[in-house]
Amino acid sequence: MSELRRDPIGGRWVIVDTDHPGSPEEFEYEPQVYRGGTCPFCYGNEQLTPPEIDAIRDPHTSPNTSGWQVRVVPNKFPALQIEGELDRRGIGIYDISNGIGAHEVLIETPYHEKDIPDLLNPEIENFISMYCRRALDLAKDKRFKYIMVFKNFGAAAGASLEHPHTQMVALPMIPKNALEEIKGAQHYYEYRERCIFCDILRQEMQEKERIILENKYFVSFCPYASRFPFELWIIPKKHSGFFCHMPAEEIPALAAILKETIAKMKAVFKHVPYNFMLHSSPVNGDTGPDGYHWHIEFMPKLTRVAGFEWGSGFYVVPTPPELSAKILREAK
Amino acid sequence: MPELRKDPIIGRWVIIATERARRPDQFSGQASEAPPEKPCPFCEGQEGHTPPEIYAVRPRHSAPNTPGWELRVVPSIAPFLRIEGELGRRGRGVYDLMNGIGAHEIIIETNAHIANMADLSDEQVARVISCYIDRITDLEKDERFKYVLVFKNYGWAAGGGRLKHSRSQLIATPINPKRVKEELVGAKFYYDYHERCVFCDLIKQEIESKERVILDIDGFIAVTPFAARSPFEVWILPKKHSCDFTSLDPNARLQLGCILKRVLAKLRKGLNDPPYNYVLHTAPFQRKKIGYWKTIGQDYHWHIEIMPRLTRVAGFEWGTGFYICPLPPEDAAKFLREVEV
Repeated sequence: MSELRRDPIGGRWVIVDTDHPGSPEEFEYEPQVYRGGTCPFCYGNEQLTPPEIDAIRDPHTSPNTSGWQVRVVPNKFPALQIEGELDRRGIGIYDISNGIGAHEVLIETPYHEKDIPDLLNPEIENFISMYCRRALDLAKDKRFKYIMVFKNFGAAAGASLEHPHTQMVALPMIPKNALEEIKGAQHYYEYRERCIFCDILRQEMQEKERIILENKYFVSFCPYASRFPFELWIIPKKHSGFFCHMPAEEIPALAAILKETIAKMKAVFKHVPYNFMLHSSPVNGDTGPDGYHWHIEFMPKLTRVAGFEWGSGFYVVPTPPELSAKILREAK
Repeated sequence: MPELRKDPIIGRWVIIATERARRPDQFSGQASEAPPEKPCPFCEGQEGHTPPEIYAVRPRHSAPNTPGWELRVVPSIAPFLRIEGELGRRGRGVYDLMNGIGAHEIIIETNAHIANMADLSDEQVARVISCYIDRITDLEKDERFKYVLVFKNYGWAAGGGRLKHSRSQLIATPINPKRVKEELVGAKFYYDYHERCVFCDLIKQEIESKERVILDIDGFIAVTPFAARSPFEVWILPKKHSCDFTSLDPNARLQLGCILKRVLAKLRKGLNDPPYNYVLHTAPFQRKKIGYWKTIGQDYHWHIEIMPRLTRVAGFEWGTGFYICPLPPEDAAKFLREVEV
């Protein structure tokens, strides 16, 4: 009998196929490939991007030249524009506002063909600290309510450039899914005066069956009501609403668990395209830090989302998260 | 300046790219895959290769699961949900779960090996619509179910199978799916304030402004929604208010068949046979019990949402529920209006 499971935060139900669980070799996915060609994110091509906003670079090198380790530039084709007013207005029954926001690209490494598992830990720590630095800077702009940090890796996961990069988007409103998650967590907090993520973490650490990896400050696990096969979360053990307030001593632990978790994923699914996204509290609002707990949601792109999922918001998960976690735990 | 638009019903914001917008001809579909070697189990004469039929349109005196039919409904070979058993709702620590009870049926729309519904006749499409109504009405008798979701996946990228034989699916669920609930809540919220149906207001505004209308035939209208999630998203709505798709009379079924077929034909011709999904949005089963939604007859309005799969949904959309639509829906509507079918 398959199971219907309810996500305790957003209230979404998912169908988990426990009868005929999909094993890794059953997924037909489009592998990520490096095709090469001129890359605006490689050394020597700094002039091909808009001027850099921030960078971690060798001493005595000037902006927009080689010699950097992490580089942040505005997106050349931004979904939103930084200048202007929001100007919220109505057109009959419809609501509209100008597309104000920031859209930045964070180039994680100068190496064109090095995905996160191929980097050294300090290199990963560098770009994680840059995530925090940019988020803190963007949050100073009071027009912004939410800062989204996400990575698309591989064409099938929506990456238009193959050189490893993360995108940061500052939005003038809280996006729908984030808002639902925040509201769900607040609802739980008002009722129990406890953080739902802390409760989930406690239960996961006890049951252990969905845990993949654990270190001093972080845990990676497959969520109980996953939407996708092999979906996983990386979450700090200590309650914290904002990722950008992460203490410096936790950054190496996050780099280590991120690297090792993705390495395991890639050991199971060779060259798998993936997305990950940081979920954090809104900025410049009145949302307190008590009820929300930042985390990373990671999804390998293994399945096609079809009409049923589109229409219903109800997902069918062919591999139970307990099995996904076990396979990932045992992957070398 | 790109625009942020808000869906008036559920409040989802989308980004409409206006400046670096892609032109309609920069999108191209290609739903085609190599045909399989084996005989298609959905063709006439292959009835033994499917589970026994639940429903069929066939001549009187012809036996079930034999040739001679026009349309057949069979259980899915790989069902998401099972029909037998109890719901068994329960908790496990902070988590909730229940058994995967439900129905999952395949509607084989024609006995001929035709891939796209756009190639069926108006009458055949109307027959499919009547079949949806009959199946939903039958499944409503099962008290365990709250909703029947009717949908179509056409082409591999849209989640369709390898077999190129036109079919749709339905899934009866013991819960009201999240998107459905959001839409119902959004429509009720609008009704509580205005005492008008948000969809009726939307139809009125669209007919007046015309810029997002693709087709306006008899009792139905096909539009690109103001806050479209993807390029060439199309909604088909009945002009006359009704929350319940199953109340359609035979004449209206034929009209719906006609407009649905035309929209699909325009998508195919204009966009090079793209993969697509469509989903029927109708009111949940209205059973008189605690929590029964008394105004649903006034505040909700059934419709069909069609989504060609031309772009890849990336991390941004998944994570946020915030879509970037690279083509303004006004341009999409104009393009589709001008495609001759």
